[in-house]
Amino acid sequence: MSELKNILNQGPQPTEDALKRYLKGTSSEEERFTIENQMADEAFMNDAIEGLQEFKDQNHVQDYVNKINKELNKHTFKKKRRKLNNLIEDKNWTLVTVVLIIILCILGYFVINLTMQQKFHGTIEQQKK
Amino acid sequence: MQKKSYEYISDQELLDKFKKDQDNLWLGILLQRYTLMLLGVCMKYLKDEEAAKDAVQQVFLKVISELQKYQVEYLKSWLYTIARNYCLMLLRNQTHVISITDELNYVEAPLSDFTPLDKELTLNLLELSMKELNAPQNTCVTLFYLEKKSYQDIVKTTGFTLLQVKSYIQNGKRNLKLLVAQKMRQG
Repeated sequence: MSELKNILNQGPQPTEDALKRYLKGTSSEEERFTIENQMADEAFMNDAIEGLQEFKDQNHVQDYVNKINKELNKHTFKKKRRKLNNLIEDKNWTLVTVVLIIILCILGYFVINLTMQQKFHGTIEQQKK
Repeated sequence: MQKKSYEYISDQELLDKFKKDQDNLWLGILLQRYTLMLLGVCMKYLKDEEAAKDAVQQVFLKVISELQKYQVEYLKSWLYTIARNYCLMLLRNQTHVISITDELNYVEAPLSDFTPLDKELTLNLLELSMKELNAPQNTCVTLFYLEKKSYQDIVKTTGFTLLQVKSYIQNGKRNLKLLVAQKMRQG
């Protein structure tokens, strides 16, 4: 009776390593049941296992997976890196602009201050004369 | 190393992160989880290792471009549909004869939809419903779910083919679900 609950439970999603062990016939009883239970429930899992079993050499399956993932990374991680670089470049330019504005403000202050002082001294000297 | 560090983030969380950041990094991590299964699906339909590999790459490119346009809730099912349709399209273009085992009917909604409160009752109803299944379905469901026998063991015990065993288990489970639901409605 308690085993009837197996019909209700779909069970956890098997890991990639568990799938590989199943394909090589080295999985534990529990793992084997989990995978076959998923196969009974999901067309995706069923088709995947049936297809993977058709590979002539199971050791080559991982090579194909690695090649596909490497290609996938070119389309995902590269864009991320580019985005990150753009962000860093943008941040650098913002920083440079802020520093330049501050320098210009300080220079402007000194120039204005100097001009004012010169004008002030000029008027005092004129008054003295 | 990277694979390990994202291992505990669920598919849904990765999908949400991708939607939020629009960063393909998350999508890359997510898709790599399904590379092996998609390779299997493409191999099943195309029957050629290199063609299956190329097909998965094309499916990934399609997913990267389409996922930004559409609202996808069940990524796993969506990936399977895209891969399957892509392979079928390739086969149609090559004018190959498609020999797909359509006789298998799959259970889409899991029986675990029943609420925990109903579980005790559901188990009783399941036990009753088992008797209403036809003989091959009853045998295969019993051997598989109750005795936890493997597909291969059931093939050896019953003399059915592997395809028949799978079909009896899948249809048996679906019929059980229908019978239990029917009994619940009847009170």
